[in-house]
Amino acid sequence: MSAITTDLIVNGLARPPKPGRRRTVRCAGIVCALLGLCGGDAALAQTQPAPRRPAPASPSTGIRGFADFGSTTFTAGKSFEAVLGTRTGTIFGGGVEVLLPQRIFVSLRASRFQQQGERVFIFEDQTFDLGIATTVRVTPVEVTAGYRFGPRRWRLVPYAGGGIGWHRFEETSDFAGGDENVDETRRGYHLVAGADVRLARWFGVGGEAQWSTVPDALGEDPNSASAAFDETDLGGVTFRVKFIIGL
Amino acid sequence: MDTFTGARAKAVALSAASALWLATAAAQDGGIAAPYRTMLSQVTAPAIDRGPRDNDAPGPARTSRDRRITRSGNADRPYLSGSVIVKFRPGTSPGAQRAMLALVDGAGTPHLPYADFEIVAIDDDADPEAVARKLSTQPDVAYAQARHLVYPMFVPNDPMYSRQWNYPAIDMERAWDIHRARATDVVVAVLDSGVAYRSALLSFGTVAWGFDAITIFPSLGSIIVPFAAAPDLGGTERFVAPRDFIWNDTLPLDLDGHGTHVTGTIAQTTNNNLGGAGMASNVRIMPVKVIPGYWDQIFGAPFDGTDDVVARGIRYAVDNGAKVINMSIGGPGSAPVVQSAVVYAVSHGVFVVVAAGNGFDLGNPAEGLAEFAPEIDGMVAVGAVGRDLQRAQYSTTGPHVELAAPGGDASRGGTPAGILQQTFDSDMVETYAFGPSRYEAPRFDVFAYEFLQGTSMAAPHVSGFAALLMQQGITDPAAIEAVMKRYATDLGVAGRDGEYGYGLINPRAALRGMGLAK
Repeated sequence: MSAITTDLIVNGLARPPKPGRRRTVRCAGIVCALLGLCGGDAALAQTQPAPRRPAPASPSTGIRGFADFGSTTFTAGKSFEAVLGTRTGTIFGGGVEVLLPQRIFVSLRASRFQQQGERVFIFEDQTFDLGIATTVRVTPVEVTAGYRFGPRRWRLVPYAGGGIGWHRFEETSDFAGGDENVDETRRGYHLVAGADVRLARWFGVGGEAQWSTVPDALGEDPNSASAAFDETDLGGVTFRVKFIIGL
Repeated sequence: MDTFTGARAKAVALSAASALWLATAAAQDGGIAAPYRTMLSQVTAPAIDRGPRDNDAPGPARTSRDRRITRSGNADRPYLSGSVIVKFRPGTSPGAQRAMLALVDGAGTPHLPYADFEIVAIDDDADPEAVARKLSTQPDVAYAQARHLVYPMFVPNDPMYSRQWNYPAIDMERAWDIHRARATDVVVAVLDSGVAYRSALLSFGTVAWGFDAITIFPSLGSIIVPFAAAPDLGGTERFVAPRDFIWNDTLPLDLDGHGTHVTGTIAQTTNNNLGGAGMASNVRIMPVKVIPGYWDQIFGAPFDGTDDVVARGIRYAVDNGAKVINMSIGGPGSAPVVQSAVVYAVSHGVFVVVAAGNGFDLGNPAEGLAEFAPEIDGMVAVGAVGRDLQRAQYSTTGPHVELAAPGGDASRGGTPAGILQQTFDSDMVETYAFGPSRYEAPRFDVFAYEFLQGTSMAAPHVSGFAALLMQQGITDPAAIEAVMKRYATDLGVAGRDGEYGYGLINPRAALRGMGLAK
C-alpha cells in the first residue's frame, strides 16, 4: 500500500493541484499512453512543469494483478483454418505479476482460446467439411521473467521478457469415442514485449506482443489436419491488451 | 429338403450351365432385336418374403470360367464372335475408317447411344482378339478390343441384422451413428443383372436349350412371369432413371437375383423392423442392367453382357445423375472401352467401384474390368475378406487390388460366413437346377434372405461407403478414394499389398474425418 502511494506521489498525481489542471494532466496522459507516444514522465514534465519535491526511493518489490484479451494467430495456421475456419482467434487471460528489484519482473499468466468448427477431410488443396462439430480449446499457463525499461515511477514502462509455458490442448467432437478426444499438455516457450501505462492510482493498461512456440504439440496423429499440413507447432503470435490492477 | 432339391443339385446344374448354349441365337451384332417380352400388367400381387435360407450349402464363387454362354454357340470363348469394339481417333474421316476396317474385312454397324466407340462387324470365324490387335496398330485407332463377356461375381449359398456380421466387422454401427438421416440426393447406379425394383407381369417367349448341343430343357412356350419389388429395398420412389441395356428398354428387371442382392448391401432399408441392413439406406438407386441372367438368355434377350454394354451403361449412369457406380462384375482381357468410360465417369465427378475378381483358385487371372483401377484416381477395385477378416480364398490378388471389404467366405465358417441380403428365393428362379422334370417358369416375386459370397458382395460395401462420403460432403472422386485408403485398416503384410490393397475399409473413421490434432 505504501509503495503505491509513494509512487503516485512521486509522479505528482497525488498532489492536490487546482481541480481543473489535474483533469487536464490526466487526460493528456491517457492520450499519450494510448498513442504510445509518451516517453515516461518526460511528457508529464512538459505538461506539468511545476517543480517537484525530492523523489523518495521506489520500493524494491510490488505485486499486481492483470486481466487481458487479445488475438492469437497460430503458427499452425492452415490446420486451424481448415478445422475452425480461421487461423486467428480471441484469447482471454489473466494473472499476477511480481515486480522485483533491479527492474526485474516475474509474471504468471493463464489464458484461454476456444473456438468451434467442424471436422474435415483434406485432400491435396481441398478441404471438405464433414459437418461434425468440434471444439478446440487451448489453455496456456505461462511463467515469464523479464526486464522493465524504466523505474516504477514512470507512467509508461516498456518491458520485454521470455519464459516457459504449459499449453493444454483440448479437442472434443461429436461422436467421439473414449480415446478420440484430445486432452494433452505440452511445454512451450515464449518471448514477450510490451509497455504498461498507469492511468490511475490502482489501474493501468498495457499493450503486449508475444511470440510462442510449442514444438511437437500437433501433427502426431497421421489422420489429423495438422499432419496433413505438416504443422506441429501449437504456438503463435499474440497481441493483447492488459488491464492492470494494483501498483 | 429332398435329395435333388439340395445344393448339390444346384451346383451340378449351375456347373452345367457354365457350358450352356442356347438353341436359338440372336446375334448381338449391333442391331437391336425386337424384345420378346410383353408387359401385361404394371401391378401384381404383393411380393412373398420367405425369410432366411440358411441351410443350403455354399457353392463356388462365380468366375469367368463359369460363364461361357453366347448366342452364337462359341461356348468356350470369353468374348463374342463376329464383332469387335473400335475407337477411332477424333477427326478420322469416314473414308479412312472404312479403309482401316477393310484391312480386317470389317464393316461398321449403326452407332449406339451412350457409346463413344463403334461396333465393327467381322467374320464370325475371325478371331476377335487378333482382329483387335491388328486394328490397334493403325494410327487412327485409339483402341480396339474384343467384346469380352462380363459376369457377376458371386455365388449363392444360403442363410437379418444379427446375421450380417459384415457390418460390425467394418464398424458400421458407429458409422451409422454419424450418418443417420442425412440427405438422400446421392444416386448410386448399380450396373448389374437388374434390380427387383418394381412389380410387373410380363409374358416371355422361351426357347429349348441344353448342354453340349443336346437339348435338355424344352421350350416352355409363351409364359407369364410375375415380378415384384424386393420388400426390403423400400418404395419405388427410391429408384431413378432405370435402364436395361440387355433388353434395350427402361425396364431393368432382375431375372437373376445378383443385382438385387448387391443393391441390398448398398441400400437395404435399415432400422425399419424388416429384414437386414444396408450400407447407405437413404440413397437412391439407378438400376442399370448390363449383364443377363440365365432367364434373360432363355427368354431371348437381344443383348449380352459385354464390355461395350458395360461402357454404355457407365456413360448412361453418368449422364443421368449417378454419383457412384457399382460394378460387381468382371471379365477377362483388357477393356479399354470400359476404362475410357470410367475416365469419363470420374471426370464428371462419379466414383466407380469394381469387384477385384473371384479367380484366385483358378490361376488368379487378371480381371479386365479391374486391372486399370489403380491408374484412375476415383475408381477402386475391391477384394473380399471372410468373417475372420482374412482374404477370402477365391478373392483375386494382384496390384489392381486397392481395398478390401467383406465378401464372405464359406470355406471358413460355412454358409453363415457369406453375406446376407434379400433377393429372390432361388428355388423359384433356378428351376433348371432341379432337372428337366421340374423345370418350369420362374417367379420373380418370391424373396428370401440368402447368403452369397464373392468380390461382388465386397464391392457394394465400398459403393455404399462412397455414397455416405458423398453425403458427408466429399464430392471429388479422387478425394473419396484417398479418404478410403487413408483410413483403411491395414491387413496382411504391412502397407499396401496384393491381397488387401491398402486394407479393410473403415467407414466410421473416414466419415469422422480429421480433427486438428486427431
